Amino acid sequence: MGESDKAVFRVVIRGSIEAVWHEITKTDELQKCMFNMRLETNGLKPGGQIRMRSPSGKTTGVVGEVLEFDPPRRYVHTFRFTQFDDPACTVIHELREVPEGVEYTLTHANLPAGTKTAKQMNQGGAMICATLKAIVETGRPSFGVRLLHVLFKLLEPLTPKKCRSENWPVDRQI
Amino acid sequence: MADSMDVVFEALASPARRKILDIVKDRPGCSVKHVAGFFEVSRIAVMKHLQILELADLIVSEKDGRSRRLFFNCVPIQMIYDRWTSEYSALWASNLTKLKYRIESREKTHGRK
Repeated sequence: MGESDKAVFRVVIRGSIEAVWHEITKTDELQKCMFNMRLETNGLKPGGQIRMRSPSGKTTGVVGEVLEFDPPRRYVHTFRFTQFDDPACTVIHELREVPEGVEYTLTHANLPAGTKTAKQMNQGGAMICATLKAIVETGRPSFGVRLLHVLFKLLEPLTPKKCRSENWPVDRQI
Repeated sequence: MADSMDVVFEALASPARRKILDIVKDRPGCSVKHVAGFFEVSRIAVMKHLQILELADLIVSEKDGRSRRLFFNCVPIQMIYDRWTSEYSALWASNLTKLKYRIESREKTHGRK
């Protein structure tokens, strides 16, 4: 058996399942746990398109399509970095109520082995979980993550042209 | 499942369990049988260690037909890191650990330990 195409991240969050669900699906404000991007969609239902835009809206980091949407327990979508030419992988968010609060499980499946996508996804998973927990429990991300958001903003002008939002309209199937 | 760091430290306070984490990290999605193959002790003993690791959320298991697939979950360790390491200390600490690893690997290649 070779390297697995799957990675799993899990955290228990003291808070309501609705609060956690809201953080990962909201479209009206920046998703601080998802690298401070804004989710744009033409409908959170199977077949709906999703785009993760920068705070300014000028760049689009991630594109995907909703595969399953079952509030407030399960949200599955495809995921592709606009920066790389790697095939899409699948992201699964699962929420479950436990005595301590909510158990949030983030699974990255169908990861294209050995690609930049796989590497970035592996680095990002733990940060998403830790930040989600910090936001729901304390109202904001840790200092380090907030610093990172500022850094993203400063680096935005250096983003490759192919990541510009005009290349990734929300109503076009990917 | 537990939220407390106690269970994480307790789980990590065993060489056998740390070895299990190394094994599962190297082979995400591996079976209990694969892990047991690295140990002389009974499979029951390995299962017991796995149970403690799962309770601490350091191992997440998934049903795959009749067997279980195991994954290493790094989030509890990330939480420990976040709690005690600030951005600035991380920079110095990582430079120091790099130095340590470099010296150790050099000593290894020179046959000294």
